[in-house]
Amino acid sequence: MTRGVLMNAKFRDLLVTNFLAIVLGLGASALMLLLLDKNPIEAFGILFSSVIRDKYTFADIFVKATPLIFSALAFAFTFKANLYNIGVQGQFYIGALIAAASSLILQGRMPGVLALVIVFVLTILGGGIWGSLIGFVKAKYKANEFLVSMMSTFVALGIMNYLLRTVLMETKHEYPQTNALDTTVWLPTFIQGTRLHIGFILAVVVAISVWILLYKTPLGYRIRVVGYNSDAARMSGINSKRLYVVAFFISGALAAMAGFTEVNGVQHMLLQGFNPDIGAAGLGIAILANANPIGIIFAAILFGALNVGGTIMGQMSGIPSSIIELMQGFVMVFVILSYFVRSELETRRAKRRLFKAVEE
Amino acid sequence: MIDLLTRALMMSTPLLFGSISEVFAERSGMMVIAIEGIFLLGAWGGFVGTYLSGSLLIGVLAAIMAGVVTAAIYGWITVYLKQNQVVTGTAINILAMGVVSFLHRVIFGVPITPLTVQPLQALPIPIISKIPIIGPVIFNQNILTYMMYLIVPISYFILFKTSIGLTIRSAGENPEAVDVAGINVNRIRYSMVLIAGVMGGIAGAFYSIGYLGMFTTNIIGGRGWIAFAICFLGNWNPKGAFIGALVFGLAEAIAIYMQSSGGVLFPNELFIALPYILTIVLTITRKSFNVPAKLGVPYIKES
Repeated sequence: MTRGVLMNAKFRDLLVTNFLAIVLGLGASALMLLLLDKNPIEAFGILFSSVIRDKYTFADIFVKATPLIFSALAFAFTFKANLYNIGVQGQFYIGALIAAASSLILQGRMPGVLALVIVFVLTILGGGIWGSLIGFVKAKYKANEFLVSMMSTFVALGIMNYLLRTVLMETKHEYPQTNALDTTVWLPTFIQGTRLHIGFILAVVVAISVWILLYKTPLGYRIRVVGYNSDAARMSGINSKRLYVVAFFISGALAAMAGFTEVNGVQHMLLQGFNPDIGAAGLGIAILANANPIGIIFAAILFGALNVGGTIMGQMSGIPSSIIELMQGFVMVFVILSYFVRSELETRRAKRRLFKAVEE
Repeated sequence: MIDLLTRALMMSTPLLFGSISEVFAERSGMMVIAIEGIFLLGAWGGFVGTYLSGSLLIGVLAAIMAGVVTAAIYGWITVYLKQNQVVTGTAINILAMGVVSFLHRVIFGVPITPLTVQPLQALPIPIISKIPIIGPVIFNQNILTYMMYLIVPISYFILFKTSIGLTIRSAGENPEAVDVAGINVNRIRYSMVLIAGVMGGIAGAFYSIGYLGMFTTNIIGGRGWIAFAICFLGNWNPKGAFIGALVFGLAEAIAIYMQSSGGVLFPNELFIALPYILTIVLTITRKSFNVPAKLGVPYIKES
């Protein structure tokens, strides 16, 4: 009984502090608008009203949220094992690269559905292998995964740029991008008159699967044990080295899925340097959701809404699009502060319980 | 060849400033993950200060201020509120990007031609700059590069030969002992983060007003991370950081040279990615790291 009450108090804290953090983050961005001589209330009025003004725009929130769910899951997954995958952006690019290249090769040679399944599998394998290399050098050479993963993004970017101006370049050889994909290998939309494609459903299913994997399977248990206490994990016979490779494989595969849904679901081609902040925003979303896969779905939708609303706000009132980064940055900082507030509240509650116990 | 070496030394200057400040902070137990954001704020502050005042000195001071403010926020959350350094640093870096792009727009609007300032000029030292090879390479640099020559021995001396240095290192190895000796661990760590703000701010300014004379929001492009990596690869030692900065400065100079000479032997992208590949290779091959024992661990006093 008391345990239930405690969990409720914790959960209430989580909701209240996160809500406050979001409000304060947006409030801080609103204050910045004063510097531009813009009326923040008006601007945020546009932000909120614009995202629900029509079906297309509203659905776009979920379009934008889709890759963010994947990239946040990618960061959160290794984070559970106390490993830092800062290379999500690079794994996303590798995924996008493989998705685009294999789609271009397979399209027209087989039914679209079959091609999409093969592309999806190849993307997962490619991103997973790219990611698992980080885990491998960590396990084998004790290399710092933080540094290696961070640097791997720049290498992935180099590979992408090189291929986009050589073998993958569009047939006219004018722009660093691929040819457009056949409509047969586009991810189908499931609401008429919007861009919302089934990649979003895939993202939600994957998020739930990751939750099940982490909390309901032996592998997930081992990953979390390594995260809590690597010494204890070693003593209980968990092979943490193999776990590094597996965790980074899954993380890389998750990030690569974002590349698949963006290329086959939204862009329908590969553009140089597109979506450059998927990785960083994913990290922010993972923090906002306390690395919980289900929470990530909602946090990603929030970031998606900020993205869509911020863009429209810019178009309608001449506010620069950097307002999106500003809002996301402020929200993240306030969310981190809310972690502190929550731990303070928790300590205080623990003390009260202790006093009560002593009195009794 | 001389040109290449001159440029290599020049490009290693900001990396050295950044990595030495990271050495001090990490020796005290603090990873300055926000270094990329500090560099960016420094580059922007330096540009704005110089553009608006017409004085490079004021530009550098503005860069220092911008860097310190960024570091102060990062340090407050990580040292005093004891939040995760990687997570906080990443948030600060995103926020820094947003703040800089936004404020740049607020101040300058959307200019038709790129805004430029006169960058720092090389100050050839009389007589010795005429020595063949060494002269033009080492003694025909700008003032910040001359400062770099001094910073290496000074910081080595402070860190390893003074009691202040001992205290800093103890804060990262055995903070309890520092605490028992009546010294405030958090204050030491916070000071080191602020110093990282000063030096990182100068490093960032080097990119905007040190040689380009202009500012774009992607001007840093991961150089903060490179400085961060150099600190690791240099084994948390100013001497190691110096060697690391030289190697990466050379890699960057070669990349610039190859791009401008239009070398066809290897693709451009390979040279651009060279410093990052180098970091990965060195991270994997280096064996004997002596990581400060409490690196990244907040100090929580037993009560």
